[in-house]
Amino acid sequence: MAKILVVDDEAELLEMIRMVLQRRGDHQVVLSAEGADALAQAFADPPDLAIIDLMMPGMTGYEVCRQLRANPSTVSIPIIILTARAQPVDREAALDAGADAYMTKPVTMTELVERVDTLLAKRAAEKQPMFAGMIVLMSLRGGVGVTTLAVSLAATLAQAGGGAACLVDLCPSSGHVALQLGLRPEPNWSGLIQATDLNTQVVEGHLLQHGSGLRVLASPIFPIVGQRVPQAMMQTVLSILLQRFPAVVVDLPSVLNDITMTALQAASGVGLVVTAEAPSIQTTIGTLRVLKQWSAKLRIILNQVTPGSQPPTEAIERTLNRSLVGAIPFDPAQARALARGAPLALNNPDSPLTQAVQELLVKVS
Amino acid sequence: MQEQLGSVWLVADFFTHRYRISGRLDVRYQKLAGQLNDNTTSFLQLEDAYISNVEHPADIIASYASSTLRKQNITTVVVAQQEDGLLREQTYGSYFGTYLRTVFLTVPYFEVKGYLRLSGKLDLRTVLTTGTDAFVPILDGQMRSSVRPDIVFTGGVILVNKDRIGVFCVEEEE
Repeated sequence: MAKILVVDDEAELLEMIRMVLQRRGDHQVVLSAEGADALAQAFADPPDLAIIDLMMPGMTGYEVCRQLRANPSTVSIPIIILTARAQPVDREAALDAGADAYMTKPVTMTELVERVDTLLAKRAAEKQPMFAGMIVLMSLRGGVGVTTLAVSLAATLAQAGGGAACLVDLCPSSGHVALQLGLRPEPNWSGLIQATDLNTQVVEGHLLQHGSGLRVLASPIFPIVGQRVPQAMMQTVLSILLQRFPAVVVDLPSVLNDITMTALQAASGVGLVVTAEAPSIQTTIGTLRVLKQWSAKLRIILNQVTPGSQPPTEAIERTLNRSLVGAIPFDPAQARALARGAPLALNNPDSPLTQAVQELLVKVS
Repeated sequence: MQEQLGSVWLVADFFTHRYRISGRLDVRYQKLAGQLNDNTTSFLQLEDAYISNVEHPADIIASYASSTLRKQNITTVVVAQQEDGLLREQTYGSYFGTYLRTVFLTVPYFEVKGYLRLSGKLDLRTVLTTGTDAFVPILDGQMRSSVRPDIVFTGGVILVNKDRIGVFCVEEEE
């Protein structure tokens, strides 16, 4: 059963579509007679598919389509345009606005139901997670862009998997994951330290919800002083999150302690983030040596955090004596995007940085 | 349950000199061709009219719940289904003794290609002047902008206002 939003100013048609989709597909159908109301409903509780008329008073179907595509929470929902405008120019404009399918009235209900089923099946296939398990990102040298990369990876996973991803910020001294996503870090994992009975419901209650569908376990806004974070608590939390979400991304602080070792133990893949500067490379060589017990799951990611030319990747690989799993290019737009709480990975699919993150996920998986 | 989404309303594209008006016409009592050729009224009443400039025909610049078109200023009407655009006597059982001729004609801003159904010897003066019908039906029509050739409209039938035709050409019979 899927949730389908139908937007049309013809009341009779709306009712007929509702009846047919409920009877033949057992779908939950939400109706709207005009564009602004439809957008409000879609953003509040995103549907699995939308059927939209083009010719509506106030906001046209083209505009509804464009706004759905511009919002991270509805960017990937399948959209069928159902309209009486049957000309090639109309079809072209609708597809340009982001529609997946174009049907002209009159249409038989069988045709409409078939098209709905096809698009829902296609989306279900696309929603299979790009990666399943836990990816941990770290560097024992700060300032190499670990948090930004963790946010980009998690956002990409959430978008591709219909929100089925969780990002964990384990930095005990005011981590910046929530900040980069434009979220206020309340609640955060400091609230779990005192919890007597840690279960899925309690952990879920401490997760933030991002508009992309990504769930976030934020770190406390102020550094924790004089209170130890129990290793067993973090072990349980990570275990619950792994059961609850197909993909979990963890942003580790630049230290090796009980908590980071717990995350490294639980991870199915560890991304060591390195920049082309000598101190970063030296730290990574040391980290590889210290973590050699997990050598098989260590992956090295080259992250360019400053503009300008870089040494050849082959030179870095020779120095590290390891291959790089991916290289993330510098994009000046990323800083502005993060300042707005909207990382490029969510809002600019054409950016080389976004594409590099997607390629990285494929390689890591 | 009604299986097909259709009604007593016909949605068609009406073209004036510079505008495309997509709207619903009540065809319960009279079909589109009948209403266009009805010389007892000079106007056509549309509901839910959506207006676009012909140079940007997909961009809706205005919409109105009700609007009136002056028939003499309509250059063409593009209808998706042939049977919706023709009179009953022009469709069912009317094929006997008729034949189709490929035609090309111009109206302001557009050139139209398609087929003209004839029942006798072709005489364009007869087609264009005889009878009270103000609109001539071009079957399986294609209407291309004369200044923006990428803009094309197609229809099962295109009803063309005879008074707005500039040139009317007929292909030679093979």
